Amino acid sequence: MGKKILIVDDSESIREVVSFTLENAGHEVLKGVDGEDALQYLDGSNLDLIITDLHMPNMDGIEFIKSVRKIDEYQFVPILFLTTESQTAKKMEAKDAGATGWIIKPFIPEKLLAAINKVVR
Amino acid sequence: MEKFREKFIEEANDLINELEKLLLDIEGNQDNPDLIQQIFRVMHSLKGGSSMFGFNKMDKFTHHLENIYDLIRNKKLKINEEILDITLASVDHLRNLVHEGEDADTQNQEQHDLLLSKILQLIDENVVIDETSPTIQETDSRDIEDEATYYISFKPHANIFKFGTNPLYLIDELCEIGPTKVFVRTDELPEFDTINNTECHLYWDIFLVTNLGINTIGEVFIFADEQCDLSIHKISDINLLEEESFLGIIDETIKNQKEIDINQLKQLTNDLEKVFVKAQEDQTKQTINFSTIDANISSIRVSSEKLDNLINWVSELVTIQARLSLFAQETETNGLTPISEEVEKISRRLRDDVFSIRLIPIENMITRFQRLVRELSQELNKDVVFKTEGTETELDKNIIEALADPLLHIIRNSLDHGIETTDERQINGKPKRATILLKAFYSGTNVIIQISDDGKGIDPEKIRNQAILKGIITSDSELNKKDTFDLLFQPGFSTTQKVTKVSGRGVGMDVVKRKIAEIRGEVDIDSEINEGTTITIRLPLTLSIIDGLLVQIGTTKFVIPLSSVYKCYEFKHETLANSINNLIRTDNQEIAYLNLRELFEIEGDAPETEHVVAVQFGDTRIGLSVDNIIGQYQAVLKPLGKLYKKQQTISGATILGDGTVALVMDSNKLINQFANNQIKVGG
Repeated sequence: MGKKILIVDDSESIREVVSFTLENAGHEVLKGVDGEDALQYLDGSNLDLIITDLHMPNMDGIEFIKSVRKIDEYQFVPILFLTTESQTAKKMEAKDAGATGWIIKPFIPEKLLAAINKVVR
Repeated sequence: MEKFREKFIEEANDLINELEKLLLDIEGNQDNPDLIQQIFRVMHSLKGGSSMFGFNKMDKFTHHLENIYDLIRNKKLKINEEILDITLASVDHLRNLVHEGEDADTQNQEQHDLLLSKILQLIDENVVIDETSPTIQETDSRDIEDEATYYISFKPHANIFKFGTNPLYLIDELCEIGPTKVFVRTDELPEFDTINNTECHLYWDIFLVTNLGINTIGEVFIFADEQCDLSIHKISDINLLEEESFLGIIDETIKNQKEIDINQLKQLTNDLEKVFVKAQEDQTKQTINFSTIDANISSIRVSSEKLDNLINWVSELVTIQARLSLFAQETETNGLTPISEEVEKISRRLRDDVFSIRLIPIENMITRFQRLVRELSQELNKDVVFKTEGTETELDKNIIEALADPLLHIIRNSLDHGIETTDERQINGKPKRATILLKAFYSGTNVIIQISDDGKGIDPEKIRNQAILKGIITSDSELNKKDTFDLLFQPGFSTTQKVTKVSGRGVGMDVVKRKIAEIRGEVDIDSEINEGTTITIRLPLTLSIIDGLLVQIGTTKFVIPLSSVYKCYEFKHETLANSINNLIRTDNQEIAYLNLRELFEIEGDAPETEHVVAVQFGDTRIGLSVDNIIGQYQAVLKPLGKLYKKQQTISGATILGDGTVALVMDSNKLINQFANNQIKVGG
């Protein structure tokens, strides 16, 4: 059953790859170019999952996650962040902000879907 | 994917242009943190995209470039002209990489390497090594530690699903780290009809082996640690999952116990480790031992001629040392005795060591026998396995050489006559496959070699009948079992009517006995019908030196091999002279004795007090009367020379300390030869 997923990344190519992969898997995808832009999709769209980049202009990933968690209905929605970094410190920062898990870039479509399946039911 | 790649190239162009612009902006504006942040972000995007779409060179390049700006961002590095120059040059290079593709010409490659080395140099020069600075670390490198076993107790809270965490995925992730053994615990599950399927009531005990360290394990749970009770313990420095006994104990514990007590667990693994580590050490030690043995064998190659010379000289030394000892005793010069004793000690050791060089393990001749059994059993269509025991037992090289033929003969006999055909064996309810066992072991100063088979055995009745038929014994002879079997060693004796090409007519056994006797050995046969036959060969350790008892008759000295001496007695001459049938009573037992003075035709009268040396002869003991017992003596055997070759009672001569010669008796042959004249052996 398809889910409603928001992908936030300032790189269009990444956004395209992610959305292409997810749409092929039967999900509905919303796209935000940075944190600030993405916030507009939160209202009333009943998202099942948010995937976000960490380094973005205007509002970066950490700020974005914090803002999302402040919204009542998004308290428990899984948030995965995309990162090229595997350091624990960055993960902890994202986690403290409210992230559910992470996906390491580069990823192949199967990995992305597997990671998503781990958090959405 | 190609579509996205094109998109990325477009995007990369934009990013590179943006980067160029930002770099030019910062030239006159070096302290603006926003600009630095933007530069860093653009590089990061480039890096992320290039890694995503397979621009590996660009990925690596931007990674290092990004590191520089991360340092600047974190105020660990100050931006300067040099950095800007390199970055701008890098921008041009990145543009090339995007436009001309990664596998561009050599000029491109040179530029790439040059810039990369400059960037790395910049980082190297300016980085105060700071372990906590995360960007310096290679992104993918995880610390490799030694392999260890971890115990993870993972108990999710009932509401874990609400946070979007599926415990099974976490366990999956653990399994990706290394080999695991996962135990699911179900004892907290509520009654079936009260189960709330949005709650988690399971918990897990997990054993994991990895070399990635405890932090890697902890990271798996980063996003779940508030929704579970988690404890991770390193319980052992070895891979316990490969140890059956550990898994067994854990299985038991988990069946019987609700919670695993970490202290108990650590105690257990501690104990187990000692055992495992020891077992491993033993194994290594063994391997080492084997290799040193091999090295020794291969590293010494001396011609036997040299060895024989060495032994001759040692023999001479032993002789001269005996003279020295005697001289020291007689002259009573102060201080001479300790010296002579020291020389005696050293020459004894030297003798032992030199003789041990000549000792080689029986192993060396086993292959021949194995081949024989293999080939012959096929030829005879019998199913036979050849087993050996104690082949590490060592014997003098000469003995082993002399032994090969008799042993071959015995084994051939055993295969041909002893072991039945497969059909016969099955009828008699024996295992289809017959066994021939060669067993060697030490017994005092002797080496015993036994060859036994589980064949049909030898019927003493048959031997008896055969012997009577051949006129070897008369029909009224009474023989015990041993004597009956000894008949087999009589020349020209054979129990098999058939003549086979394998072992002939059984002629060989007397030859076997003679050959073994030549090396001062003895051979015995024992057999049980339908159970098998055992042939026992008793051999001296070496041929050229024997420990003996020096005795005197008249003025002549003799050496009796100490290995056969049982006990010495003192008797009045009259007692011996008046004994009937040469039987004397001692130790509540009658033993027969041989009057050696008479046998050796030594002139003169016996002293008033005579001595009788009781020697072992087969199962009985026979006394040998002598005038005097001088003492224990190490005799270096010298051959007697051609003229005396035929006589059997004296096996050689030895030179005593005072230069005189003593004859070395072969007590067995002596008794054999003279027994019937004076006494009845075994009677």
